[in-house]
Amino acid sequence: MPELRKDILTGRWVIISTERSKRPDDFRPAEISEPKKESPAFCPFCPGNESKTPPEVYAVREDNSRPDQPGWTIRVVPNKFPALQPGSPPPKKARGSYQWMEGVGVHEVIIETPDHNQEMSGLPLDNLARIIRVFRERTINIEEVYHHQYVQIFKNKGKEAGASLAHPHSQLIATPIVPKRIKEEIYGAERLYRNQFRECVFCRMLREEQAAGERLVYRNEKFAVLTPYASRFPFEMAIFPLRHSAFFRAINDEETVFLAEALKQALGRLRFQLEDPAYNLVYHHAPNPQVSEKAWPGIDSYYHWHIEVMPILTKVAGFELGTGFYINPVPPEVAAEYLRKNESPSS
Amino acid sequence: MKKILLVEDDKSLSLLYQEELTGEGYEVVLAADAESALELVRSGGFDLIITDIRMPGKDGIELISSIMGMRKDIPIIINTAYQSYKGDFMTWAADAYLIKSSSLDELKTKIRELLAD
Repeated sequence: MPELRKDILTGRWVIISTERSKRPDDFRPAEISEPKKESPAFCPFCPGNESKTPPEVYAVREDNSRPDQPGWTIRVVPNKFPALQPGSPPPKKARGSYQWMEGVGVHEVIIETPDHNQEMSGLPLDNLARIIRVFRERTINIEEVYHHQYVQIFKNKGKEAGASLAHPHSQLIATPIVPKRIKEEIYGAERLYRNQFRECVFCRMLREEQAAGERLVYRNEKFAVLTPYASRFPFEMAIFPLRHSAFFRAINDEETVFLAEALKQALGRLRFQLEDPAYNLVYHHAPNPQVSEKAWPGIDSYYHWHIEVMPILTKVAGFELGTGFYINPVPPEVAAEYLRKNESPSS
Repeated sequence: MKKILLVEDDKSLSLLYQEELTGEGYEVVLAADAESALELVRSGGFDLIITDIRMPGKDGIELISSIMGMRKDIPIIINTAYQSYKGDFMTWAADAYLIKSSSLDELKTKIRELLAD
């Protein structure tokens, strides 16, 4: 019989269809989603094409190299044609019963490597740790300079996930409001902290998951990779720091190396066990501390930052869109077992 | 006289643009699809390219990618009815992304700006 599972934080229910569950092998595509051995005629993210991007706002580059010239290993540039206009948060305005505000935000692209054909999971550990530190630095900078309420770091990999270029990159969009998904998680965590557990629900869940082990994919000294209990998507994964912290910006340099290893493991297993599916990867963390401290006093006690990895192996259709109720044909325990089988060969 | 290549599959629109831009003092050559545009670019001599995105055959994004493979120094303006292609980072090969409008003022200003560089 299928099982209905509740996401403890958001209250969202998921149908885990154990009865007709697909075998993990069913999700290995007939061919790799995006053959990447050949570079396109032109890529705006490749070295030598720096003039086609807006001037870089941050870069990790060789000492003797100049901004907006080759010689970089990581490059951060504003979106050339952004959906939101750059700037600081505008005031909220009213139009009758409705609220509106000017479309202002910050949208940056983090080009993760000069190598067009590289994969995030294939990057050397140090490079990946450096990318994570760049995410941290940009988050702090944007929160302190522009005062936006939330900085969303995300990665779309593969066409089906919305990526338009194969060249490895992540994006960051800072918004003048805290997105609903994040608010739901924060309110859920706060409610469970105050009314039920008197401790961070994520820390509690991590303890239980590590003891049970059935949904644990990988862990190192500082991070754990799990398939969430109420996973919405087949092979969905979540990466949690074992040290309690609400703010991604508080990650220390040592932890970035352990997170890099956890990411390599999670993404490498996806790539090699499921033949490189498209995926979306999102960071969930507490909003700008200037906002968090006022809106959610004590958030540092009950919220816990994390990363969600959502492979695109099924289509979200009418039922999911209409109800917010997801049907997952692969129980997370089966997914974890499959992903645990082999270590990522790229590590 | 500066020479502009206008890639646009809508014939009446391309004639309108040609007339307006000729009035601004430019020589305007028309191409109705990406393939014929590429042929013209190969023959050389253009100071600027304006291209639509949705066209039969190769779309405008594929076109600018091919142009970049040949030469990167011609300024390109994307002129489309759709905002949604802004999410495609290949559009960064262009120097400007404009949404088609009944007024050509923005287009004319952008052309002047790019040709002044």
